[in-house]
Formats: sequence, C-alpha cells, structure tokens
Amino acid sequence: MKKQKVKFKNVSKKYSLFKKRSDKLFDIFTGDKDGQGFYAVNNVSFEVYEGETVGIIGMNGSGKSTLSNLLAQVIPPSSGQLEINGETSLIAISAGLNNQLTGLENINLKCLMLGMKREEIRRLIPNIVSFADIGDFINQPVKNYSSGMKSRLGFAISAHTDPDILIIDEALSVGDQTFYKKCLDRVNEFKKMGKTIFFISHSLAQMRNFCDRVMWIHYGMLEDFGDATTILNKYKEFVDWFNGLSEDEKVQYKQNMLVKQREEVKQPIDLGSEEPLSRRTKLSAKKGNNRMRSFRLTVQMIVLIALTLISGLFAFTN
Amino acid sequence: MTLILTLFKEQFKNFGLICRLATYDIKSKYQLHYLGVLWQFLNPLLQVLIYWIAFGVGIRHGAPVNGTPYLLWLLCGLIPWFFIAPTVTQGSNSVFTKVTLVSKMKFPVSILPTITIISNGISFLAMFCVLIIMMFLYGVPITLYFLQIPYFFLCLGAILFSLTLLFSTISTMIRDVQLLIQSSMRLLLYISPVLWDISKNPHLAAILKINPFFYILDGIRDSVLSKGLFYHEIAYSLYFWCLTVLILLIGSVLHFKFRDKFVDYL
Repeated sequence: MKKQKVKFKNVSKKYSLFKKRSDKLFDIFTGDKDGQGFYAVNNVSFEVYEGETVGIIGMNGSGKSTLSNLLAQVIPPSSGQLEINGETSLIAISAGLNNQLTGLENINLKCLMLGMKREEIRRLIPNIVSFADIGDFINQPVKNYSSGMKSRLGFAISAHTDPDILIIDEALSVGDQTFYKKCLDRVNEFKKMGKTIFFISHSLAQMRNFCDRVMWIHYGMLEDFGDATTILNKYKEFVDWFNGLSEDEKVQYKQNMLVKQREEVKQPIDLGSEEPLSRRTKLSAKKGNNRMRSFRLTVQMIVLIALTLISGLFAFTN
Repeated sequence: MTLILTLFKEQFKNFGLICRLATYDIKSKYQLHYLGVLWQFLNPLLQVLIYWIAFGVGIRHGAPVNGTPYLLWLLCGLIPWFFIAPTVTQGSNSVFTKVTLVSKMKFPVSILPTITIISNGISFLAMFCVLIIMMFLYGVPITLYFLQIPYFFLCLGAILFSLTLLFSTISTMIRDVQLLIQSSMRLLLYISPVLWDISKNPHLAAILKINPFFYILDGIRDSVLSKGLFYHEIAYSLYFWCLTVLILLIGSVLHFKFRDKFVDYL
C-alpha cells in the first residue's frame, strides 16, 4: 500500500471581509469570528499518496492559490484538520524573492532561511544558476528581472531544495517552451524519486501531460477529484458551457456562487476512529487544558505586575 | 512560563540559523555603499561629533561631568544607545518587513527580532572596544568594577529580546505602533542618562528611572568609570528584571497567539 502524504479533512479557510479599518482592529482584540466572511476554501476533504502528481484546476478566484498555501502550511486553516507528512516547498511566480537584492543574493538568502549550511549553499549555487540560465542578470537586482526570469529563478531555487512535496502554483505558465521543457524534466525526475507533486495551472494541455489525478476546485468547494482525463474533460465541458452563456447570465452565475461562498458548507464530520498521524495542526489540541493554562498565566501576570510595582516604589521613593 | 520556554527552545534550536542570517544582514547592509562596512563606524562617529559639539562644547562649554571629561562621559551612554535605539526600531519592524519573504516557507518567525539584536550587537561590541581605547587615551583605569559589564550586557540582551518580541508582534498588526515606537525612541534619548547628567535633579531622576534603559545606561557608565555597583540598588535591579520578565511574558503570549495569522493581518 502506498504511503499517505497529504490528508485534508473538512478543511475550510475563511477570510474576514472588513468594511472599515476599525473593524480589523476590533477583530484583533476580540478574535470575534462571527463577522462577514468569505470562504476561499470550503469544507474540502481529500487524500493524496506518495509519488502522485495531482493537478488542481479551477476558474480565477476559485481558491486554488489558497489551497496551495494551505498545502505549503504558509497559512493555517480556519477549521478542519490537515495532515502533511514531509517537507513542502511552494513555487509561486514571485515566491519570496527580495526585489532589492541581486539574484545571487536571493539564492543565498533563501537557502539560508531554509536552514542550509554554508558549504551546502556553496555546492548548490552553481547548479541553481545554471538551471535558471539567466546569464549575467544573476548579478542584477531582481526588480530589473522580467517575469520569466523571476519564475525561472524561483523555480530553480525551489527545485534544488530537495522537498518531499512540491507545490507548483502557475509558476511554469510564464516561462517559454525551452524552460518549460527543462522544468518538465526536473519534475519528472522528482516523480521518479517518488515525490508528491501538486500542480496548479490553467493549461489543460500541461495537465494532461503531467498529472495522474486532477482536482477541480469550484468557488472554494471540491467539485470533483479523480482520474486526470475524466476530470479534465468534465472541466472542459463546463468551461464551454460557461462561455456559451450570455454576459448577463455569466454575471448572474458568478454572483450566485459568490453569495454561496459566504457560508460554510455544513457536513457531518466523519468521526472515524483513525490513528493520529505524525503531524497535526493545533486545532486538534485539547481544550480542557486551555482554561487551566490561562488561569496560571493570569496569576503569573498579576504576581509580576505586583512585584514590579512594589520594587519600583522602593527604588524611586528613596 | 511554558510559552517562554518554548520560545527559548526555538532560539537555541535555530542558533546557527540566527548567526548565519545576522552575518548576512551585516554584509548586505552596506553593500550599495562604496565605503562598505566602514559606515558602521563612520555613521556613529558623525553623530557623536554632533552631540559632542551641541552639548559638550555648546551648552556645557567643555566642562567635565563629576570629574570625567564630557566626551568620555558621553560615549559611555551614547555607544550603548546606538545599540538600543536601532535595535528596538528595526526589531519591531523585523517581522513586518520579512513576513512576506518568510510566509512562503516554514520559518520560525520568533527568531526574526533576535537576528536584529545579534547583527546590531556585533557592531555594538566593536564600538565598545573603541570606548575602551578612549579610556586608555584619557588615562581612566580599568578597575574591578569592569567585571559588572557582562551582567549589564545580559540585561541589555534580555530587555531588547523582550521588547522587540512584543513590539514586532503588535506593530505587524497595527502599523501605527511602528511610528509611535520611532518617535518614542527619539524622545527617550533625551530623557535617558545619555546626553546630560540627570542625577543632579533627584526628583526628576526618580520619575525617569521608570524607563528600564535608565538602569542599564547608568549601570554601564558606573562600571566603566568605576562609580557604582549594581547590588547597591537591589530594589531597582529587582524592578528591572520583573519588568523585563513581564514584557517577555506578554510578548510571548501575544506572539504565539498571532504568529500563525500574521499573513492574514497584512
């Protein structure tokens, strides 16, 4: 049996929509969760196994990038559980490149932040530079790069950091054919090594080449997940149908879907007796301890404040 | 307290990472300038010159403070201050400026302020060596009082760590705080024992001592000039440490509460 790499269980990500700036401030202080919300990812559950390449498709604003951020553990989910076994690496178009620094410095900084040793970085740099293949621009600040160069550099760095789970968020769509070919080879290499790959793109042709399974995200919800060809055909059908609508109908349809996205899909949570896996998000932490902890915290705080005041009085009134 | 422990564990676990990023920080800071790392000294030197001319030559007419030449007296306060002020402002901004970079990968956010402290701390140590050279030039002897210096460096590290942790959390979510911190640090320079001798006015000093940096700046100066011992002021020492731990506690509670959500609040 294949090892399970990623498991989402009723995962939602809610973004609060603030009407005024002061509402945001209010939210920080109270942590109030009742306000107007928008579910970018809405009650999504799926499992992905080792060595699979999974494509994610969907229209603009359907939550693909939010999903990829959730996968990369860049943002926490608002509710639900996600289990991820292994190191993840997210490749997005401008994934964490510092515009002021040169390409070489960016490679250095990024590798440092990933916790690599200096010798390791020295060994990797020639590989990354030759893979990115942007010539003398490697010594220019990133702000002078074309978008293709940025994505090349971003991909080159992430592809050499040896992740278990690779998440490619439309990063290949700006590169030209030669670079696309190069990336494809690299990704196929990863595939052979048994790594899990998530691939987000609007190009159905790329998907067909690439993916074993495809996930169709539709306005935050998981519309369908299965064999690549089947889902891609279904999606194509939908897109054709949608394009056939009149402009008014399109607007109407989008509005309907957006209204739906305001609310979370309620589904009975499956209480299976499953073994907890190695890594869980904090959401599943025990709640009983919380009260005890906040009580202890309050006591500590009061003692400290009292001590500070008393010693302060002694020190200053002399 | 368990939160503080986890915080410290994170710092120790990533100590190598902190050092590597701090050295990178120093190297890259002056890369665009032709004089490079020299600015690390040139910049404070020019500022010292300004304060010395304005306060020492201008206002005091070159009169010494309690028998110590004003320039040396000024340096004892100003060199630590050149460490404190940039560290507090940069440290509180560290999470905000780096969070977009950091958010695309898994990275312990709590070490960002520490990196600022370490990278500024290295230049502080270099400046402190300059201070010791100045002591020799003025013929001020190094006595046993000097042994207190490591203790005050520890104090300095502790209060800076606590403050930057707290401020970096708050100012990431409420940007107004950053401006407030900048102005407060500017004000704080004038009400700390850096530029003028506050102790001549005991009533005023009693109020200004609330500022925890007063303790450190006074302590370092007393150790360098062999004027006083820290355990003569037990109450004040206790006040300083309680305040530091209190700030650290509040800071770590807030940090752990919001650290997953930094990206959401941007």
